[in-house]
Amino acid sequence: MKAELSPRAKVMVYGAMCVLLIPFVFPTWWMVTSSFKPVSEIFAFPPRLIPDSWDFTTYGQVFTLQPFAKQYWNSAYIAAIVTVGTMGISSMAGYAFARIRFPFANAIFMVVLLGLLIPSEVTIVPLFQLFLKLGMVNTHWPLILVPIFGAPSVFATFVMRQFFISLPAELEEAARVDGLSRFKIFTKIALPLSRPALASVAIFTFLHSWNLYLEPIVFLSSADKFTLPQALTQFTDAYGGPMWNIQLAAATLTALPVLIVFIIAQKHFVEGLAHTGLKG
Amino acid sequence: MAEVTLTNTRKSYGNVDIIHGIDLDIEDGQFVVLVGPSGCGKSTLLRMVAGLETISSGEVAIGGRVVNDIDPKDRDIAMVFQNYALYPHMTVATNMGFSLEHRGTSKSEISERVNWAAGILGLTPLLDRYPRQLSGGQRQRVAMGRAIVRSPQVFLFDEPLSNLDAKLRVVMRGEIKALHDKLRTTMIYVTHDQVEAMTMADKIVVLNAGRIEQSGTPLELYDRPANRFVAGFIGSPAMNFISGKVHADGLAVSGITIPLPEKAKKYIGDDVTVGIRPEHLTVEEGGLAAQVLLVEPMGHETQITVQLADNPITGLFRERLALQAGSGVKIGFKTEALHMFSAKDGHRLE
Repeated sequence: MKAELSPRAKVMVYGAMCVLLIPFVFPTWWMVTSSFKPVSEIFAFPPRLIPDSWDFTTYGQVFTLQPFAKQYWNSAYIAAIVTVGTMGISSMAGYAFARIRFPFANAIFMVVLLGLLIPSEVTIVPLFQLFLKLGMVNTHWPLILVPIFGAPSVFATFVMRQFFISLPAELEEAARVDGLSRFKIFTKIALPLSRPALASVAIFTFLHSWNLYLEPIVFLSSADKFTLPQALTQFTDAYGGPMWNIQLAAATLTALPVLIVFIIAQKHFVEGLAHTGLKG
Repeated sequence: MAEVTLTNTRKSYGNVDIIHGIDLDIEDGQFVVLVGPSGCGKSTLLRMVAGLETISSGEVAIGGRVVNDIDPKDRDIAMVFQNYALYPHMTVATNMGFSLEHRGTSKSEISERVNWAAGILGLTPLLDRYPRQLSGGQRQRVAMGRAIVRSPQVFLFDEPLSNLDAKLRVVMRGEIKALHDKLRTTMIYVTHDQVEAMTMADKIVVLNAGRIEQSGTPLELYDRPANRFVAGFIGSPAMNFISGKVHADGLAVSGITIPLPEKAKKYIGDDVTVGIRPEHLTVEEGGLAAQVLLVEPMGHETQITVQLADNPITGLFRERLALQAGSGVKIGFKTEALHMFSAKDGHRLE
């Protein structure tokens, strides 16, 4: 049984937790509140936690200075396709590596895992040349195909494999006796049971795609094709200096869906990580 | 319903033989229990019948049809697993009807069969629950329900009661036996618990290291074990063994002589192991002097372990004996109930 903390110890623990929270909460707080401040107030000293005057026009300007709604849609649909694609591929690949005996399975899995060790900066130039030859530069295809068949998918495959390894073999044997084919066992038994792992894969992948920065700036050149992280850098004045309050308003809008998704799926996310034996 | 025949069935992993050429005939409607210590190959043999393990050589036939290369789903068998293997994301009713659903059975028939099976097993009020909402015994019943709903030719049980507590095990034992009496379908049941084997089986097959040591009815195995292994495995508490040399007046062991039956005369001069079941020991004035090591009163009987010469011997007595550890006691043997085994290879001596 857990020992009950004394009231004094509780105060100390909660106090320490509040102090530790500051570095995590402050940047978000600063981003959200500064998006409502005039530029002069953002850099005022001492810094103000709550704006003296609230300026809501920044949010309107976000949508007039850039095709922000279009960019929002670009990020959303690309992230959605990447997430669904990665979930499909990683669950099938993870299941195969965990459950199907085939020659050199472990060696092949190791080779697949090597994909995690190669930084995207190393592969970006050859990828650019490839997509240039395929006529896909300044389209969204590279932003969809590279993550689905790249490192995020490898990581997702690893997470799914670890989950499927932990599924009791007897469930599968019972399904075989019940008359299910291998594919049906996967779709009817293994996949529905892998929801926690799939949820964490979905969040990881969505976040990765949503925050993707290097690939968009390499592959995209027209503003109406930009994704959000790239669009954020475009809120500049005539001299190229950042328009801080508008940029922070755009950043707040960018972070919002991720925060909402994470808060909703938090439980699954943690469960999924626990299943893989990984720590977040 | 169908008979199951295994002919010279072998299983090897690389160079290691797990099952060494088993020949076994299981009659239609028979309840056969495969019993043996851990690692003897009983579960492997069952899985070979189920089609979950391939057969290295030999033949497995169900209902006269060789099924070596036939998928588990096409063997017309149903299996109950040790850990129940219920699908956690499906209700009891869906679990039970799942195999029928995948065989193209109509919804009305599935519902009818599920309700029939649930009725037999007392699961009707639980049909809408999920496995996580059930107790161990209920889960076990659902696993059986999932098997019987298909009315297969053969039921296979792989240690289905080993995860239950002792009391529930006794209840479920009775239920499975009653189910067999009701359905009269061929059942093959794997267990390491010889009490389960004795109480449930029409025929027991004792396995050891991938070989059949003996098969027969429970009482045949109990009364006439073919060798020392079977004699020691069947019966609880286990049979006592004392090794010595046969003389004209009995078995000479560490300075004492144990009286032997008349038939022992033909083994005079031979090294023999004598087996005596605990219930065939007596406490009597003319017996051999022994020292009490342990007294275990169980109410309806008393189990006593004594030191006789160099051998610890266990006796089971209907009487409530007023003995204490460390005290002396005179132990007698019902000589007509003694078993004799070759000290060399352990086979039974008649």
